[in-house]
Amino acid sequence: VTNFPELVAAATVGIAQRPLAITELPAPAGAHVTILDPDPAGAVLDAAALLDAARRAGRLMPVPVSAAPVAAPDAAPEIPPGAGLLIEELLQHGPVDVVPELLGAAARAGFRAPAPLLPALLSAATSNSGLRAVVADVAGERGRWLAAQHPDWLPVVDAGSLPIVDDAWQIGRPAERRAWLADLRRRDPDAARDVLAAGWTTETGDDRVAFLTVLAERLSAADETFLDAALDDRKAEVRRTAGGLLARLPGSAYSARARQRAANVLSIERRALRRRIVVTLPPETDDAARRDGLDPKPPNKFLGAKAWLLVQIIAAAPLDLWPDLLGDRADNLVSLPVADDFTIDVHAGWRIAAARQRDAGWARALLRVDDQPPPRPGWPSDEALAAVLPVEERQARAAALLGRAALDRVDAALQGCPPPWGDALVNAVRGVVMREVRAVQPAPLGPVLALAARRLPIERATEAAADFRRIADEAPPRTVLPAALRRAADILDLRRRFIEELR
Amino acid sequence: VSARWSVEQVLSLAPDPASASAARKLAQPPPWSDTGATDTLVWGLCAGSGKTPYQTIVDLTGPAYKCSCPSRKFPCKHALGLLLLWSGGGVPAAPAPADYAKAWQDSRVERAAAAAARPRPQRDEQAAAKRAEQRAQRVTAGLEELEIWLRDQVRNGLSGVAGSYRHAEGIAARMIDAQAPGVAGRLRRLSTVPASGDGWPARLLAGYGQLHLLARAHAQLDVLPPEFAATVRSHVGYQVSRESVLEEPAVREDWLVLGVRDVLDATIPTRRTYLRGRQSGRYALVLAFDPQGMFGGNPDAALPPGTVLAADLHFYPGRPPLRAAIGERRGDPAPADPPDVPFDFADQLREWAAVLALDPWASDWPAVLRGVPVPGEPTWLLAEPTGDGVPLLHVADPWVLAAVSGGEPVIVAGEWSADGFRPVTVWHGTAAVPL
Repeated sequence: VTNFPELVAAATVGIAQRPLAITELPAPAGAHVTILDPDPAGAVLDAAALLDAARRAGRLMPVPVSAAPVAAPDAAPEIPPGAGLLIEELLQHGPVDVVPELLGAAARAGFRAPAPLLPALLSAATSNSGLRAVVADVAGERGRWLAAQHPDWLPVVDAGSLPIVDDAWQIGRPAERRAWLADLRRRDPDAARDVLAAGWTTETGDDRVAFLTVLAERLSAADETFLDAALDDRKAEVRRTAGGLLARLPGSAYSARARQRAANVLSIERRALRRRIVVTLPPETDDAARRDGLDPKPPNKFLGAKAWLLVQIIAAAPLDLWPDLLGDRADNLVSLPVADDFTIDVHAGWRIAAARQRDAGWARALLRVDDQPPPRPGWPSDEALAAVLPVEERQARAAALLGRAALDRVDAALQGCPPPWGDALVNAVRGVVMREVRAVQPAPLGPVLALAARRLPIERATEAAADFRRIADEAPPRTVLPAALRRAADILDLRRRFIEELR
Repeated sequence: VSARWSVEQVLSLAPDPASASAARKLAQPPPWSDTGATDTLVWGLCAGSGKTPYQTIVDLTGPAYKCSCPSRKFPCKHALGLLLLWSGGGVPAAPAPADYAKAWQDSRVERAAAAAARPRPQRDEQAAAKRAEQRAQRVTAGLEELEIWLRDQVRNGLSGVAGSYRHAEGIAARMIDAQAPGVAGRLRRLSTVPASGDGWPARLLAGYGQLHLLARAHAQLDVLPPEFAATVRSHVGYQVSRESVLEEPAVREDWLVLGVRDVLDATIPTRRTYLRGRQSGRYALVLAFDPQGMFGGNPDAALPPGTVLAADLHFYPGRPPLRAAIGERRGDPAPADPPDVPFDFADQLREWAAVLALDPWASDWPAVLRGVPVPGEPTWLLAEPTGDGVPLLHVADPWVLAAVSGGEPVIVAGEWSADGFRPVTVWHGTAAVPL
């Protein structure tokens, strides 16, 4: 009996060299062996045709496969098809940064991602950290089931919320241990601190930093002893973190020491009706000062060692010290002249303190004096200060910058204004657009418009998109703003359409 | 009043994804003015970058499109955008079309009337018979040459072409001259087999065997049963005109659109649309060709998967019949339930064997299966509840299949072949998801 492999072997070498007499073929082709061509080459081709037909008709034998687990049922409905199509298109053609807001809205409205879209969403979220949390929110049971089978996707659905497992502290990974500790801290702050202190010396440096930040929640005087001991840690970041937490305890010995040092460096001098702030440069750092986190080495050679120490001492002190010590409110103190050109150093200290202690009053006052020193290390940006202000005030500030055409600073200020934007800010954006649209070389408003398109409240999207398009249509030819305006209008329309599709 | 089309239906007309995307952006009132719609026409003015707005008109009966924009895409984004706007209820009904729309429609009607009135060129029966005779002779001579070539390959040994990816190009070109394009296509595909890795001699010999069988069958064309002779002719590459197919008896049915697959690397880019009769369970394949791979203007290429079309189908000769031309339509594609699943895997295999018994050159056959997609190497599998599985071939993203399934059986339509199953559409509830 000549089977197919034998046929192939003979044909590969060539039947001129390796003759092959075919007298029998395996069933079912065997029934037709009598019709084979008398020519040996024709017979090989005939036999190949017969055996190949038999193979193709019969080859597909089902093979056993192991049963896979089944996804748990989802209670939430899928995002409606129209809205799903929009997401699919955004993932393919962009801009992807609009997707988190839209999916977030869908999640809040009680929807989950359509199953066919899950692979695209999970893939996008593996490479785009901005998508992770929101994809985890809309993944549903189906998404978690799918991700469990795909190693790249598992971290995406994990990003949503880490489950708190009972023995996580003993055997979990660092992220799971931190989640466990944070959970305990919320329920029983003292127990969490004691658990941490018990194994403190065996933790790695990175873990010590990560776990110490957990204590920021429900911080109290009871934590002082533990934190004060951490000031002697091997790792600088642990010492810094501990110092930061101690500074938030006004009654702590650490705060008292910081106050004492600060009280020695600044004083008020009165001459006739004029007042000014006088600086007494601090002494060299001793061990106690270094233990409290004062760094004797300036970050660069342009900053003197004494001035650097001055900044750090002022920054470390609780801000409520100054009105008592210097006899006036923050907004007056920041306007006083400082003797011997130390203004920027003193203000740098206050800025750091205002940002760290999240003191809106001081932040407001410091922003109002509007120091604009040449770039220097350790100078907290206006935005770091503005982040302490209430949202409405941040928006008002951005609107004011827009009005003054301070466009080099406005992008950062707008970034600090979370959506949805209020009317005043929206009108300020419109104002600057109207002003610049006629310019042949307009200010680069692309980033402003792109942000506006994403952060305008959805209720104003229709109106704003129409407005942007009208301005673009009426713009003089050969100007560049209309394109940016139309792009912004497209984004606004897209957001509105998505929300409508959800209804 | 004709029903408005769905968004999916409109988007299926798009020549490419970029057009669909651009059209969505135009599917809103602002750029449009003076829009209107009657039962058969939709029109409007679209403000573009120039001063004069574009005049956009769509004749829903074709559909046919007219737009004054310079785009060479067909239909253009304006026509699609206008249809989307209309589909969403954004175009008001009008008692009569705007002047420019009316003028265009009238000219279309006139042209159609003129074409119908034009006397058909009298067929010169004798000349036609002579041409057919000449062609048959040419093909016969070509296939005789092929037969000699095939025997030489086997006699001298396949190892001589090891590693080559163009060993059969010469004989393939000869088959083009001999007016046997189907044979030429098979030879071109076989040409690359010696460079295709382990086991290539077996694949090459199997392909040669099929060609040899085809040449042998063609040599006896006169004595074969007419239907089988037609099958042989179609594989050799004899053309059958669409007109002559439309003269075949109509099969009137509600045809469910099982799936659409574009073959863009073919000699001429082809869109394959699989249909199944809802009552008869009969499969059909409608082909659309476009050199640029843009099928937007062809109504036979605009059938959304998962919809049902009431129409007359005329099948091309050959057995088992599969390829068909769409004749009279008695409605637009309408939403439909998922297809029934006619066979389990074992019966599907029997069906496939029956297809091969009728047409040993068939490479695949439509199938609707129910199973659970399961990851595997080298391919994923579709598994039956009994625990049997078949390989899933050429799936762009098997994870979409998995996501829809969630570990439960899903209904999948696709192409069954000797090596496994190529899924084309999966049903997610009542929605058809292209794969």
